[in-house]
Amino acid sequence: MIFHTPILAMILASVITSIIVLWSAFFALKVVRHWDITSGHARQLTLEKRTYLVTTALKFVLALELFSLILFVTNADQMAPMFTGAMCAVGVLNVNEYGMPALLLKLAVFFGASVWLILNHADEQGRDYPLAKHKYALLTILAPLVLITSLIQFLYFYNLHADVITSCCSRLFVPEGKGLQASLSAMDPMSALYMLFISFGLLVLLAFWLRGSKRNNRFGRALFGPVAIGFFTVAIIAITSVISSYIYEQPHHHCPFDILKWQYGYIGFALYIPLFTGTAFGLAAGLMSLFPTPSSLLEAYPRMIARNITISAVLMTIFMAFILLAIGRSHLILFG
Amino acid sequence: MIELKKVFKQYHEGRINEVRALVNINLTLKKDCITVFKGPSGSGKTTLLTLIGGLSKPSSGRILLDGEIISNLPEKFLAALRREHFGFVFQRFNLIRGISVLENVMLPAYPMAPAHAPLRQKAKDLLERLHIPEKADMPVDVLSGGEAQRVAIARALINDPDTIIADEPTANLDSRLAVQFLQIIEQLRKDGKTIIMTSHDPRIWQARIVDRVIDMEDGHIVEENEKVANP
Repeated sequence: MIFHTPILAMILASVITSIIVLWSAFFALKVVRHWDITSGHARQLTLEKRTYLVTTALKFVLALELFSLILFVTNADQMAPMFTGAMCAVGVLNVNEYGMPALLLKLAVFFGASVWLILNHADEQGRDYPLAKHKYALLTILAPLVLITSLIQFLYFYNLHADVITSCCSRLFVPEGKGLQASLSAMDPMSALYMLFISFGLLVLLAFWLRGSKRNNRFGRALFGPVAIGFFTVAIIAITSVISSYIYEQPHHHCPFDILKWQYGYIGFALYIPLFTGTAFGLAAGLMSLFPTPSSLLEAYPRMIARNITISAVLMTIFMAFILLAIGRSHLILFG
Repeated sequence: MIELKKVFKQYHEGRINEVRALVNINLTLKKDCITVFKGPSGSGKTTLLTLIGGLSKPSSGRILLDGEIISNLPEKFLAALRREHFGFVFQRFNLIRGISVLENVMLPAYPMAPAHAPLRQKAKDLLERLHIPEKADMPVDVLSGGEAQRVAIARALINDPDTIIADEPTANLDSRLAVQFLQIIEQLRKDGKTIIMTSHDPRIWQARIVDRVIDMEDGHIVEENEKVANP
């Protein structure tokens, strides 16, 4: 293990998060089993009182998890000079077998935590804890994910040894290689661009249609979640197969991590932050649409879902604007 | 109208020092009435007031305000409800030292972010009504007991609540000031306020203006006396 300040900070953060999430998960199970807002029973009143404390603690640790993802990636990038063969975050994540799974799990936690925080915000607008059962049911799914992520992250950090010779993006993100990274890099650039613009068009069209259609179009709104996830997937493919080449101005450089470096004006952050947060808002809108409208939020709840859809569409548009900027600024000519 | 249904309140629940402060309270408090809870120390009077005013929550049971359950409200809504519906006069008045009388009176209105000039005027009007306008700019540390109580009442009225909750309001006052307090309370009832008080003081619960006296002991209601409507 390498005693690096960000590593110690992330381990400390994950320990705090795990403890609070584990404690909250036991409380969540009680809520799922016993919550009855119409009851004046002592157990119900205890749950109502305690939910305030649990929610406050969870808001803190789940927000911490969102920042932890950024720290995880930037730290991996900054540690590259410590490992032979590593030039960016990819090399550092490949130092052992836990790096990439840790990243993927942290991505999953990012989306889970974001959706939980948005759902919790909606719940807090009601006078009678209208979404309490739903948000704690979601927590029972999120909690094991957070705990596994903390464990895998710890194993990754624990097994970081400076004498390892690692492979970096120039070996992994090449069309000739094997695995997911190679498949993403091998995608036909033109097809990837088409897919990106078509899926963006679909997402924006759906957002506009939902804005104009009846307020209680639950099916349409629920559909926005999968559409947002679909767009996210296509966007990641497009970044790897074609957008990164435009940014590096090299047709054979496909790394989705190097774009986070200062040499490229940190454009990766401008792309990923709106993409990730936009996807989270889209997912939350889709999930919230699956629940019946709470009686205490008859007017506000559909408005909240509509607002989440709008925020998602705006963030995706910002993402696309940066994509166009990256292509427009590039001296690389891939087509024609 | 305030209703309490099967309300229990325990402190230190499940521990060796568990205290059952209120036991199965069922009660309806009508609007525009003066209700006094009396009883020995430890009978649950103050606990009951804190529950009615949303300052704490019952261990079980429900409290309703105008038909809506308020005992399970999340803290954010409870704080808004307290600001809008209840004015509190505490036994020790709980005025904030280091700021003036006027600022103390204006304080509960600050979270609602009102315009400063009208709020200041309203606070001055209240002090005028309670016959202490000349104290407005004084620090609260120099007030007498009776003056401090009037400031506390003005502060309770600044958000124009429909219910005034007063815990042992005459405990620190002599007879003359207690009579003056009753005159203020009578005027408030005429203005349409509901008054709920606790008191050890016979001058309070024997006063003709009081509509209802509820006797408490060991967390139970042991006796209720409702007077014929006051003129």
